[in-house]
Amino acid sequence: MSAALPIPVIQLLQVLTIAIGAPGVTGVIATVEARLQGRRGPRIRQPYYDLAKLFRKEALAPEGASWFFLAAPLIAVTAYLTIPLLIPVLTTYGLPLGYMGDILGGGFLLSLASFVIATAALETGSPYAQLGSSRAKTFSAITEPVVLFVVFTVALLTGTDLPYALAATVRSSAGQIIRPAHLLAAAALFMVILLETGRIPVETHTGTNEFGMIEEARSFEHSGPFLALIRWGSELKQLILYTILADVFLAPWGLASTQRADAVGLAIVALLAKACAVGCVVAVIDNSFAKLRLFKITEFAAGAFLLAVLGVFTLYLGGG
Amino acid sequence: MSGVQAPGAYEGAANVIAAGMLLLEFGMLRQALVRDQIRLYMAQSALISVLAIVIAADRNLPDLYALAALSAALKVVAVPLVLRRLLRRAGLDDEEMPGVAGSNTLSPATAVLAGIVLAAFGFFCFGSLGIHGPAAPALALSLAAAMVLVSFGLMIVRRDVASQAIGFLSLENAISLASLVVASGLPFLLETGFLFDLLAAVVVFGMLIRAHHARSDSLSTADLTKLQG
Repeated sequence: MSAALPIPVIQLLQVLTIAIGAPGVTGVIATVEARLQGRRGPRIRQPYYDLAKLFRKEALAPEGASWFFLAAPLIAVTAYLTIPLLIPVLTTYGLPLGYMGDILGGGFLLSLASFVIATAALETGSPYAQLGSSRAKTFSAITEPVVLFVVFTVALLTGTDLPYALAATVRSSAGQIIRPAHLLAAAALFMVILLETGRIPVETHTGTNEFGMIEEARSFEHSGPFLALIRWGSELKQLILYTILADVFLAPWGLASTQRADAVGLAIVALLAKACAVGCVVAVIDNSFAKLRLFKITEFAAGAFLLAVLGVFTLYLGGG
Repeated sequence: MSGVQAPGAYEGAANVIAAGMLLLEFGMLRQALVRDQIRLYMAQSALISVLAIVIAADRNLPDLYALAALSAALKVVAVPLVLRRLLRRAGLDDEEMPGVAGSNTLSPATAVLAGIVLAAFGFFCFGSLGIHGPAAPALALSLAAAMVLVSFGLMIVRRDVASQAIGFLSLENAISLASLVVASGLPFLLETGFLFDLLAAVVVFGMLIRAHHARSDSLSTADLTKLQG
């Protein structure tokens, strides 16, 4: 028998798991992607080394940029680190702070983070950073309705919009998994995740071609620790979205149902394994599709919207 | 409200297959290449055979196994083969089989949004009828109604004979889905009779494609809008 952990410690562990695991998941995806291409690829620990290197470097701000330029990465990372309190990362039962906000609350925090970074990019006056933030805002306006319809599906399925409730519903029976509404909403969410994390078919993650850049271009003028925060922030965002997909929609198993230390430890391993599995799928997609032209991205978003809307439709007739 | 009850595993599977067929219909709506439209049609036809097998297994209707095999042979193998040959004769290269230029009257994203509106109309109209077949769930029937309207939409927004033929054939798939849902216990002879209606449609469309190509040297129907006096 192992000791029971106090609730605040578990809550802290949720945040720490996401915070420390995020660069590792990015490293795994980069390695898998390289292996699929027949390259050796970087070490899995490489994102940690990159962050450590950037944190040691000098920070510069462009002339004329205000305090907001430097505050933005801090606000963004704070927002990203708040979200793990709201979603089921390690436990099946809701932790006390988990009821601070529902799925929409988490969505607001994600949008806030992306908004402050886009605003900071506008501050710089650099054309590429501005281009990136303008594009990022344009496409997030298109994906917003998709996210809303996914939330509606969840709300109709469970009667609430708490992520914990949906995970519990999915766990309750196999019939909950093979219902069209659930599958359609999960597929729509996956497409939104591809768009939000800047993966193929929307954006090349590793390229240096500015014309195709969306998210990547926003951090052009940041440097040193602030660039590190932005990088870390996008890794956090990626792991948070994967966690929502895996722990709420696709596979809410392996979460701790008690406060025992071994169950929680197992949940940490399970979460990282699930995130890496999602990452492997993303890496395969990265390698098997070409990047869409910028103006074709609306079609991609329209496809995701179709899935989410059909999910809600099927529920209205009771059979979904 | 405590959320919507989950359907049983059988009902869920049937609904998922029907939803997949509707999604493939949308795929045909937005796909520009005729070659890929034919592939999507094959996938849709394969799905309806799978649905027939699922219903056969669940409701213990051995007739439906034979129907599934026949429908797969016809719609997954024979019809696409005939269509490909027709298009090759009409001058569309077999390797590339590009879309007919200017065939889309709407941009793909707009077409999908218009399709969603059509699907919603069919979906809720049939949903409010409250028809409950003995074999398959009401939701699948509504999905079939949505598919019928979307395939009509496909035939309307495209300006080439090939895509219109595929729209018509997938319309037949939608009607097969509806008949499987409402009347899966229909006598085998009737079911196969309906299936062979499809062959008549293929022959008619084959004639249409060839006659149109012989007259105007293209598959586009854009020049059929003017009356010739």
